Amino acid sequence: MIKKIYADNFRCLVNFEFSPGPVSLVLGPNGSGKSSVFDLLGKIQRFLDGEAKVTELFPESDLCRWQTARTQTCELELEGNGGVYKYSLVVEHERERGLARVNKELLYFDGKPLFEFQEGKVQLYRDDHSTGPEYSFDWLQSGMTVLESRRDNKLLNWFKDNVHGFLIVRINPYLMTGDSEGEHSRPQITLEDFASWYRYLSAEHQGKVFELVLELRKILDGFDSFKIRKAGEVQRILEMVFSTDSDGGEPHSYRFDQLSDGQKAIVALYALIHCGLADDRQGGGVLCIDEPENFLALPEIEPWFRSLYDRCTDTGQQVLIISHHPKLIDYLASSAGHWFEREGEGPVRVKPIKDEAGTGLPISELITRGWIHE
Amino acid sequence: MSKRRVQTVILCEDIQHQVFVYRFLKLRGADIRAITVLCSPKGRGSGTQFVLNRFPVEVKAYRSKSTYLSLCLIVVIDADDLSVEERIRQLDDCLVDAGQPRRTAQERIVILVPKRNIETWIRYLDGNGADETTAYPKLSEESKCKSAVRRLVDLYPRDIQDDAPDSLLRACTEAKRCNT
Repeated sequence: MIKKIYADNFRCLVNFEFSPGPVSLVLGPNGSGKSSVFDLLGKIQRFLDGEAKVTELFPESDLCRWQTARTQTCELELEGNGGVYKYSLVVEHERERGLARVNKELLYFDGKPLFEFQEGKVQLYRDDHSTGPEYSFDWLQSGMTVLESRRDNKLLNWFKDNVHGFLIVRINPYLMTGDSEGEHSRPQITLEDFASWYRYLSAEHQGKVFELVLELRKILDGFDSFKIRKAGEVQRILEMVFSTDSDGGEPHSYRFDQLSDGQKAIVALYALIHCGLADDRQGGGVLCIDEPENFLALPEIEPWFRSLYDRCTDTGQQVLIISHHPKLIDYLASSAGHWFEREGEGPVRVKPIKDEAGTGLPISELITRGWIHE
Repeated sequence: MSKRRVQTVILCEDIQHQVFVYRFLKLRGADIRAITVLCSPKGRGSGTQFVLNRFPVEVKAYRSKSTYLSLCLIVVIDADDLSVEERIRQLDDCLVDAGQPRRTAQERIVILVPKRNIETWIRYLDGNGADETTAYPKLSEESKCKSAVRRLVDLYPRDIQDDAPDSLLRACTEAKRCNT
């Protein structure tokens, strides 16, 4: 579970701290930095996975516009394995050549070192924190990308695996197609590769897919099952099979992209609950979801959210939701709400949400009127 | 097309109430897609007034639809310093003030009144012993009531012990209005 996120000199995040709870609702005006926090988590994840180098993930355009410092700092505190991990990454930008490189990358567990990467040199530590091997490494990548699992670095690998398992999504059904070129173990942020993620799930997690199918049968009239149709050497097409009483129960298939945007969003949202979250025995996962209510019909929001809430609280998963929906706001804001705001074009600050003046209005109404913290 | 028609409305003070009742219904096999929850958007404290204000509105809606839809209205409100009877009477008075008849025995309107509050029931069901005068502290996380709810589901309706808080025994009888 994420205990704290710290960022300095990343877009509008300057000396920024955010401590989410097990279920957190992130609220705030447009442009208040909510999505930037999710983006930052996604960048840390891709960096640790070795998917991209620091120059691609932290371009100069992501430096805060009104800061003169050339370094960016990101920190992530993660609870797990009976302790607290602290990961720090300092990225240095070279003005002359327009390059970025790793200035420092550190991982500590309960204040003791597991990994240090500074000045192009990696120093490893064993699980008992005794000094391990040292080696030179590329300044543009995470020093953890090449580490293999050994008996004496379980703590470090748990951290890597846990961050790898973060699901950070901003569903965009316009981009979701039925075509798949392969299996994706983790979906893209927009879930545009849902078909490829489904292929992976149906191969590796049939039990979870079965749960999803049962759930979707309750939600989508006539839905029966998913089908993957061969369309080439490696290409496949995801279809959804429906049957109705009116045509004698004869099943018929639709390509996934022939569904409405709302239906695609429903399928994706329930897939996140049933297939996207880690099992609790794996140490608890993190789901960050940006405006899940977009595209959903009004009656569908509450049951989806309750399913998510139940699953997360039952299995120890953490969920961070950005939402502008009044039902979610009034349900969660008073106990789990975090208000993001900026003074003019200044840095983002986070405040708890409460009706300080005692207006008696629902939180969603206070937000609608712009009266929060006024 | 997706469809959803609400059949059970839970009107309650806060998330703890909601989690407790919702989990109970879910474990009893209720169709959870047919449940909607209204709880105070401002949390405990203001919750009592929220339920009292909203009760006549929900009863009116229930009565307008219950002739042709199978509906159930479940209200959860802590007794606090009042007795269970006083709290139920207070709700009845809210109906009268709104120009509506009092609740009848035939209506599927269930009023659950934990005394002193829901934490009393949770504490008892978790086997810690509880009385109805002490104000027990809130749980650190609302979901931590799940073992208590599980226990209630196991006991309900026949095996609730006589040493249970009186308000819990009464709630079990009250719940029969909805056949839950």
